[in-house]
Amino acid sequence: MIATVLKLIARRLLAAIPIMLIVSALLFCVLRLLPVDPAAMSLPPNATIEEVEAKRREMGLDRPLPEQYLIWLKDALHGDFGSSIHFRREAGGLVSATLPATIELAVFAMVLAAILGIGGGLLLFRLRNTVFEAAADLGSILLLSIPEFLWGLILLFVFGVMLRWLPFTGQVAPGLPAPHITGFLLLDSLLIGRFDVFLSAWRHLILPATALGLAFSPPVMRVLRSSLFDIYQEDYVQQARLRGLSENRILLGHALKNGVLPTLTLAGVQFGILFSGTLLVEVIYSYPGMGNLMVDAVRNADLPLIQTIGLTYCIVVLVINTVVDSLYVVLNPKLRVS
Amino acid sequence: MASSLERRTFLRLALGTAASLGASARLAGAASDAATVGWPNDVPSWDPNQRFIPDAQPVFKAVFDQPIDQDPQLRLIPHLIKSWDLAADGMSMAVELRDDVTFHNGDKMTAEDFRFTFFERIKSGAKIDTVNSMRKVQDIVIESPTRATMRFDSPAPTMPQWMAFLGSYVVPKKYIESEGLDNFLKKPIGTGPYRLAEYELNSRIVLERNDKYWGPKPKLARVTIEIIKDPSARVAAIQSGQVDCTINVPVREVQRFEQDPGFVAEINPITRVILVQVRADLAFADKNVRLAVHHAIDKAALSKAFYGGAAVPLSVFATPGTPGFLSDFQFKYDPDLARQLLAKSNFGPDNPVKIGFATTNGQWPSDYDIARAIVQMWKKVGIDADLQVIEYAKYFELNRGAKLPEATLYSWDNATGDPEIFSGYQLNPKMPFAPWKDEDIGNRVLALFNVPDYEKRIAGYRELERYAVENGATMPLLQSVVTVVRKKNLAYTKYGNGWLLPQTLQWS
Repeated sequence: MIATVLKLIARRLLAAIPIMLIVSALLFCVLRLLPVDPAAMSLPPNATIEEVEAKRREMGLDRPLPEQYLIWLKDALHGDFGSSIHFRREAGGLVSATLPATIELAVFAMVLAAILGIGGGLLLFRLRNTVFEAAADLGSILLLSIPEFLWGLILLFVFGVMLRWLPFTGQVAPGLPAPHITGFLLLDSLLIGRFDVFLSAWRHLILPATALGLAFSPPVMRVLRSSLFDIYQEDYVQQARLRGLSENRILLGHALKNGVLPTLTLAGVQFGILFSGTLLVEVIYSYPGMGNLMVDAVRNADLPLIQTIGLTYCIVVLVINTVVDSLYVVLNPKLRVS
Repeated sequence: MASSLERRTFLRLALGTAASLGASARLAGAASDAATVGWPNDVPSWDPNQRFIPDAQPVFKAVFDQPIDQDPQLRLIPHLIKSWDLAADGMSMAVELRDDVTFHNGDKMTAEDFRFTFFERIKSGAKIDTVNSMRKVQDIVIESPTRATMRFDSPAPTMPQWMAFLGSYVVPKKYIESEGLDNFLKKPIGTGPYRLAEYELNSRIVLERNDKYWGPKPKLARVTIEIIKDPSARVAAIQSGQVDCTINVPVREVQRFEQDPGFVAEINPITRVILVQVRADLAFADKNVRLAVHHAIDKAALSKAFYGGAAVPLSVFATPGTPGFLSDFQFKYDPDLARQLLAKSNFGPDNPVKIGFATTNGQWPSDYDIARAIVQMWKKVGIDADLQVIEYAKYFELNRGAKLPEATLYSWDNATGDPEIFSGYQLNPKMPFAPWKDEDIGNRVLALFNVPDYEKRIAGYRELERYAVENGATMPLLQSVVTVVRKKNLAYTKYGNGWLLPQTLQWS
């Protein structure tokens, strides 16, 4: 099994090279074709037209697009993704400083989405053919129609403003240190032995992660329910019933293991969408992650930073897809044989 | 956009419900020596010379000091510079620095730091915006640790104003040279009333009082600035008591907070002007059309509809109280006159003149809504405007390529109030903010850039402003506003340019 997974990872790594090249070229071209002038954006209001032109030349914006791309690619291969126009700092450094916070948020949101999605899917399935089926269906459709930013505002309003149970700005309470060892605050707070920091970081994570988790759990719920409907047509479920197993044991012990496989694939796709969903949620909760940085980058037509963040999103999606496919191989014996 | 509308609607309903349930925070804000402020933007960098971002200035002014400061009425006042003397020809400026100023690390601030900030850094090729504001500085001659003379390659009549404007903060030469710029950016030190205690990018700035500050000590020992970019989240933060004060909340929220005895809510007019920028060609080559376009705009109605009547209607491109403002000049709202002017050029409701009208959407409060209202006002007199929404970043590209339409709705900020930074920049054909390309007005502006005598320069701008409006070269609409919501016992000093400075905060 390990050999199969390793082969899969190796294949994926090889495939990632052309994918990254295509994505980077597409991103580069699309950003350069946008009707914005990064040279003017990078200069103060009293810059003259001549100074703007000089800046354009300095930034290489007067060269042919393919030449600009090749220069960028060469630098990127050496780890230089250019300098942010707005922050005047290395774009790569800014992304690496903010990426862990977003990963932390997205992972917890995904775990929450999986728990809610699988739990909800099982509940929906169990309520089939009962008087509650229609209400449960309606509930799941309602959940499906609420986007993450709206969940963000609802939770902020209920738990932050009305009940005042949870904080909703930043990553940790003022006055507490934010250690930077791995960049993952929850982990770093434990590494320095500050449980108060860990607790505070955890409290700050709850609302944004829940907003994302709630928004992305309904598709998991519905796919799991559909998958379970199909599985319940299989012979082994009928045989289990004939053997006298309880409905709960059939569902949790037998059907769920197979029924969860399609949701795993969906979760892989969802993670990519969820990762980009952090953008609005991070802004609402003033969460210092990459989504928040992306908003600044877009607002300031900061092309090098947009390009770097875009590529990072692409890498994250590729990694997640590889992890999900590997898990699929682990969980599905048929794939191991093939 | 749909999302934005949904969010607005949701929050309005939600917070309205909270108010009616009596769940709003009526926190008295117990006397304390700390406060938390909800701020809409982070600083782009801790190098205060690097970027000209108006929203960042109050934060920089807490950590760093400027050579010259402004009082609440925006008059220039001595600060790090005790006195200055701009030569009659505007080619040099002698300055005398205070001798009791130290940086946060204990190093004394001297003329060496002044020269380093405003000359050496510029000439070193550093990527800082002050390269542009100090481009006329040829040298700074140090005469003693507290005396220096700035020498310019051409008259620099607005140098005193620039010493109090964007990016002009004295930075420590010795510290930057010994520690390197990267370390300075990580641990910035200035001479300001607060030192930077904590900083998390896009999240939080914590300031601690500099007890060795040379000037008046801040009342609060600690000010935390929470970076909350979303206006709805800022409203929620002040409502819930997570912050004690915030700015730039929607006007309708200010009106709601006004009903809450726990808060003070203000809509303050500032030195920011909402205007219609115009081109000198296309359909606007006809002066009658330009003037008709201006006469057809009911500015008082726009103020009432979008700013609760707090935004002052303007006739010139300067705000009340600033040197270039003309209190005796009125450009009246007169739709009948607009129709007559159009009729002279054979246009009217049955044969409308067609123009393009560009606006941003969400770049500043109510921009798109104001533009839509103006389009309706124009329609009534026979002006058919094609409203085009553009991104702020796209504005520069369009302007550079002379591709902006006849009219563009714009907001211009000028913390100094000096007319050069109003009309001088807007009508200077060599600058990227001037869609109006015309030799007559262009030459008048360029000449004013080299007038060293303050009184003559101001008189020249006052004349230019009237001339530009009467010729339809510029169409100022309203004095813009900044909204502030604070706990009722948290006071601050109100500045004419909208600054909310941490060092002026105090609990009563």
